[in-house]
Amino acid sequence: MDSLVVSPYGVQAIQVLTILLGAPLVSGVIANVEARFQGRRGPRILQPYYDIAKFFSKETLVTYESSWVFIAGPIVAFACYLTVPMLIPVLTTFPLPLGFTGDILGGGFILALAGFSVALSGAESGAPYAQLGASRAMTFGALIEPTILFVIFAVALITHTDLPYALSATIRSSTSQMVRPSHVLAAFAFFLVVLVDTGRIPVETHSGTLEFGMIDEARTLEHSGPTLALLKWGGAMKQLILYTILINVFIAPWGLASSGRLGSVGLAAIALLGKAIGLGVIFAVVDNSFSKLRLFKITEFIASAFLLAVLSVLVFYVGGG
Amino acid sequence: MSASPSTYDGVAAVLSLLVLLTEFAMLRAPLLRSQVRLYAFQSLVVTVLAVYVAYSKHIDELYVLAALSLVLKVALVPALILRLLRDANTDLAGSSVVGVASAILIALVVAAFGFFSVGSLQVSSSSLPTSSLAIACAIVLVAFVLIILRSDVVSQAIGFFSLENGVSVASLVVASGLPLIVDIAFLFDLLVAVVVFGVIMRVHHARNATLSTSDFDRLKG
Repeated sequence: MDSLVVSPYGVQAIQVLTILLGAPLVSGVIANVEARFQGRRGPRILQPYYDIAKFFSKETLVTYESSWVFIAGPIVAFACYLTVPMLIPVLTTFPLPLGFTGDILGGGFILALAGFSVALSGAESGAPYAQLGASRAMTFGALIEPTILFVIFAVALITHTDLPYALSATIRSSTSQMVRPSHVLAAFAFFLVVLVDTGRIPVETHSGTLEFGMIDEARTLEHSGPTLALLKWGGAMKQLILYTILINVFIAPWGLASSGRLGSVGLAAIALLGKAIGLGVIFAVVDNSFSKLRLFKITEFIASAFLLAVLSVLVFYVGGG
Repeated sequence: MSASPSTYDGVAAVLSLLVLLTEFAMLRAPLLRSQVRLYAFQSLVVTVLAVYVAYSKHIDELYVLAALSLVLKVALVPALILRLLRDANTDLAGSSVVGVASAILIALVVAAFGFFSVGSLQVSSSSLPTSSLAIACAIVLVAFVLIILRSDVVSQAIGFFSLENGVSVASLVVASGLPLIVDIAFLFDLLVAVVVFGVIMRVHHARNATLSTSDFDRLKG
């Protein structure tokens, strides 16, 4: 098996497949762990797969007033989530051929396009709560944007490029890169960005049913059947993509395959899912240790993320750190 | 990739940054009690930084300083203030003049000013990286912002004490080989400040039944 070498394009396809097939598993484990922290038994680990399969077998209902945008939104978003794994280091230490078609900003744009199309589709449903969710998601998305930009600035300053592969390689090169203050700050700022973008406490109760506190969850209230399945699956994929960036670019870029051999690529895929589940447990702990912020207090949370990102760039300029 | 600072410099700078971040957290803290706890945590980080410098650079006098600051700043001073607070029966800090998000942005601008003004001085030191000195300057300036924006005696006292923490970080950078007696004089200064602020808090609360400083603009009590 070790002699079997996969071509770089093949590895790229495996990257997409890992994210596609692994995402519901990661979500399922997190939901289960979270329930256990709360003293419940929790859903089965494979529950998200069953949910998605069930939604696919049902029909999609569309109101008379909604146009094709209502259906197209989830499909475009799903396509976006399939594209991003080609641009980031998911399984390999060496850059893959399509990895250079977009940098961190490019990946960010595609993720933003996905968020935009889901919000548009929610707005098109005509239901008040879905529209409220769409408008809130866009508002907080815009507020978190400066933080993401400063994190990218910090990465660009450290590596002189804005390729995620380059930062990943820089961090692996020595411990001093790992503990340099601008990296620590940027990584922590990105951690907070992931909290906001995956709709976790303290920003949003992702499993709640109370519409008043909803942001991301409310956008999908009106969808049903296969489009809802795409939205759920896409949400799980977005979460795993953000975890992958946080793990393989910022926190722990180890356990990646250094060659295209099938064995090491498969091992890297298992390692990635393991690391993502480990990170997910941390998120579950955060979820259970803090209370949700009031909607108008979220700006304070975002301000502190922004503070970390800006300090990261400042420290780089002053101390070379 | 750009050359990174050494691991020692990196850890030292991260520790000093942690002190700065606690200072920012104080700007956010709505409860007086949590502010005092943040101060205790900040002092603990300064102590750890002192021990780290002492261990790595083999400066034995710093151990004494670290022990003293552990006893005084982490345990004694917070305990005293918490006791004063228990007598005062006040939980919430006086409302700040501006909102929390704006306060953080203002403090960020001020901190950036501190960073770049010190960075342009080109001070270098054998014991800690230059960035620590810049961070120390930012800590002092953000402490000033805290004192200016908050309108209650406790926040202002905590702001003043944490300002001393900033000075401690700066003294670790530029003069870690300083004679011990000078450092102890700093700590003694802090003790005097604690006594003075304690008296102010007690007297002010006894006279006006509040900890807010907004009553101070009247000329007679």
